[in-house]
Amino acid sequence: MALNRKIAYIDLTTGKIDIKPIPLDVRRKFLGGRGLDAYLLYNYAPKGCDPLGPENPLIVSGGILTATLASATARTHVMAKSPLGGMLGSANMGGFFAPELAWAGFHHLVIKGKAEKPVYLWIKNGKIEIRDAKHLWGKTTTEAQWAIREELGDDDIKSLVIGPAGENLVRFANVMTGIKNSGGRTGMGAVMGSKNLKAIAARGTMDIKIAYPKEALEFNKRFIEQITSAKVNQTQGTLGTPFIWGATNSWGGVRCRNFQYNQELYCDEIEPEAIDDACAETMGPYHMAGCFGCQVHCRAQYKIPTGPYAGVYDEGPEYTSQGAFCGEPDCRSLETLLVGNHLVDQFGMDNLETGSIISWAMELYELGILTNKETDGLDLRFGNDEALLEMVKRICFREGWLGNTLAEGGIIASEKIGKNSFDYLIQVKGVSNLHSDERATPALALNIATASRGSDHLRSRPAIDLYHLPVDVMRKIYSSPVPYDGPLSSEHTEYIGKPWQVFWHENCYMAVDCLGICKYHTTFLGATLPNFEDWPKVIHYNTGLELTPREIWDVAERCNMMERLFNLREGLQREDLKKGDMLNHRYFDEPTRRGAPDVVGRVIDREKFKKMVDELYEYKGLDKNGVPKPETLKRLGLEKEPSHLL
Amino acid sequence: MGNEREGLSTAESLRKTRTYGQFRCHNPSCMGRLQPKPGVDHVKCPTCGLEFRVAWVKSGFPRIRGPVWDVNKRIAEEAFERKMKEEKKDGPK
Repeated sequence: MALNRKIAYIDLTTGKIDIKPIPLDVRRKFLGGRGLDAYLLYNYAPKGCDPLGPENPLIVSGGILTATLASATARTHVMAKSPLGGMLGSANMGGFFAPELAWAGFHHLVIKGKAEKPVYLWIKNGKIEIRDAKHLWGKTTTEAQWAIREELGDDDIKSLVIGPAGENLVRFANVMTGIKNSGGRTGMGAVMGSKNLKAIAARGTMDIKIAYPKEALEFNKRFIEQITSAKVNQTQGTLGTPFIWGATNSWGGVRCRNFQYNQELYCDEIEPEAIDDACAETMGPYHMAGCFGCQVHCRAQYKIPTGPYAGVYDEGPEYTSQGAFCGEPDCRSLETLLVGNHLVDQFGMDNLETGSIISWAMELYELGILTNKETDGLDLRFGNDEALLEMVKRICFREGWLGNTLAEGGIIASEKIGKNSFDYLIQVKGVSNLHSDERATPALALNIATASRGSDHLRSRPAIDLYHLPVDVMRKIYSSPVPYDGPLSSEHTEYIGKPWQVFWHENCYMAVDCLGICKYHTTFLGATLPNFEDWPKVIHYNTGLELTPREIWDVAERCNMMERLFNLREGLQREDLKKGDMLNHRYFDEPTRRGAPDVVGRVIDREKFKKMVDELYEYKGLDKNGVPKPETLKRLGLEKEPSHLL
Repeated sequence: MGNEREGLSTAESLRKTRTYGQFRCHNPSCMGRLQPKPGVDHVKCPTCGLEFRVAWVKSGFPRIRGPVWDVNKRIAEEAFERKMKEEKKDGPK
């Protein structure tokens, strides 16, 4: 059955490997994927451990539905303590790795210790081998994957790898699979690099027994119809995620010039249709691809059409690359966008963090806080495409004072740069904000301030808040599976009702991450996409596990609380600018200047923001300091954590 | 909350609220439904005056490609100037 996939504990220091089943009672409490990973991290990471030290466990997983007959169960999750912010590290990526890992017999890997020399893991049909990776060290992410396939003589092997950025311990290095599937944001690639672990290769042909195959297939047809009929997914399947950046930029919701503006003007060359044209010209009209079991196909394929990289193949670019290599550094060149995207894919480096930190450095340079001395003569002004791409390389290889400094991530870099550089760093819990500007959208501001892995849109963003849905429609969505009769507002510039929305989405996204499915298959960008009520049958038909919508909600709430407990243990304090649920002062002090008439002149109201945080804490069962109340832990069955059940 | 009679979940039942051939104006206080004529590449919001370039995902499925920059930039600058003057007069809001 799907639930008989195992957990493996791998100690790279000693070479010892233990393989154990996952008890059903643990499954019912945490399901799998990110939720169970949070449990494992809290139980296995010693308090205050060095994120780049051997005691920090690197946890890799698929969800409870991975590789079943359910749609889009492609997601791989990676968790550890983050070297970027010293808080929760978590990365989630599409592609094909997690299903292959499940077919090879495993849902979770807990990797501890540090190998003496570069190694990789070879996992095949229930067996795990630690192999020499000296010949792989130094290779880019795609070179490493192809080299493993060649060495083992199997083109169907799927690998998680790090690139040079992970080897060089860039604190926002990614774990990657495929061409561009990125486990990004919190430096999981650096954790992998710190263990001298270059790759995890998987190949599996072990059957996964579906509990009720006929019913699972039949119900999945309904699921597919629900997913593919959504207008947002039809747009994704045509234009990929760049349409999100384009639409957000249109009304003034993206970051430009670090945080000086909230819209990139006259950027027609990097709009989704322009990217789509470039993809069509170089790859033909059918250039959209998908992850395992997905019908949306949001991944564009392209060759760089011009310049020194002309003809080089890559995938994407995602909306995060538009922000990173266009909006934030104020560059408007399609070639820069595609090359920047290609470089971070090959290096295994987070696009968003890279673009954000360079844009921050650009603002510091223009302010005179950084000078030609620190940049080694590089003219690091906004809009300088060449300087932007040069800095991407310098960070990856830690070249020059500034490259080496920025590779440490924003908080450490700000301490090295000094002066008032930290004031300009747009981050939460050490993680740079998405390329979006939330000054006109209080719900989204609350989301990024309180997200468990630092400023992040994929933890609790109520993106459908931007759609001006009628309140009666919102009421239907947000009153299930837990009743809610409090206020709701269709206005996304409002503060009313937003804490509940953030709480609801936080639980929705955690549930999705436990199941192992993609967020484009839930109530993230589309109101009609599946959520709690739609999942019980999928879970039951595929795994045999019976859960009500409310029970799935409870699992999600429990798992979110596990992440909260981890962050609190690592020093989270409510208003701490480096480790708390707090935004940079610019959100409160500097009004927006661009966009739609109702968006310009906006700041986040500090008092209203505090009240939103208070209200969210209440829903989550936290006290005013953001610490769980004893009764909350008891209700969620977490009063004895760490409980070491696994 | 699911629709028991039809056996639909809440999310599925919301499909009937979808609109086709339209999009909303991007101004938060406006958000008026705009229905561009088939194939046009430009539309103006009759309520707030913002203008948008239109792209077609497929026939009958328009989307806002982006603002008409010169027009919407001017409107934004005027709005910003007005709001800053009001703030000076009345204090921060």
